[in-house]
Amino acid sequence: MRGFVLVEGGFEAVVEPEEARILASLAAQLSSLLGEAADDEALSGSDPAVARLLPDAYRDDEEAAAEWRRLSRRALAERKGAFASRFAADLADASTATASTRIRLDESGALDWMRAIGDLRLVLAERMEVGDDREGMSDLYDWLAWMQDDLVRVLDQAEERGA
Amino acid sequence: MALPSVPLVDESVDVERRELHASEVPWITIVWNDPVNLMSYVAWVFRRHFGMDAPTAEQRMMQVHTEGRAVVAEGNREAMERHVEAMHEYGLWATLERAPR
Repeated sequence: MRGFVLVEGGFEAVVEPEEARILASLAAQLSSLLGEAADDEALSGSDPAVARLLPDAYRDDEEAAAEWRRLSRRALAERKGAFASRFAADLADASTATASTRIRLDESGALDWMRAIGDLRLVLAERMEVGDDREGMSDLYDWLAWMQDDLVRVLDQAEERGA
Repeated sequence: MALPSVPLVDESVDVERRELHASEVPWITIVWNDPVNLMSYVAWVFRRHFGMDAPTAEQRMMQVHTEGRAVVAEGNREAMERHVEAMHEYGLWATLERAPR
């Protein structure tokens, strides 16, 4: 994958099948983690990655924090899950292809990718603290950083052209 | 312990006091530093969501990075809750609290 380029109505990147498979698999795992987290508030206590994905909105007011969790936590988890699902779905064709695939995103797709990538990095950062395959995870972590930075660049470029 | 030599309530200052309605008390949205989110991404989120110009977004991002936190919005509680939720959607760590008075 060589970074996004600005095209009419959106952004394009060329993705290799192996890259697409890795990203789609990570995105599917993220989506399923968020699905579990939406249904189970206790996961925020037992899984630091979930606590970081769905943080409290109040720091020193447990009552307000609990009320906010009751009203907002599930919907937030579901929206984040939807970003991850869309990221996975956009990569589905590319991951079963035999050659590299050109993927095109519109602006809303780019925003979903951006957020899903950010959430994946949050989870990887927590998993690296305790995981077995730290080197592999660290490579993924850096690769996702590069991708997110690239999306920032190309979205800025689009805005400059539009302005 | 010595007693205070000045009155605890300064009655010479004649401030018109009234209870503020809850919706009038200002609240603030704070973004906290985390070791994961990219500096370029955080500045981009500030531009995108709060409509900050590039130098302001950069300054707030650097404040988060070096001081550990930055106030990014002030207003009523409901508005600050919406900002916090949006920041969480972007993966940033944000909280709201009453503005210091």
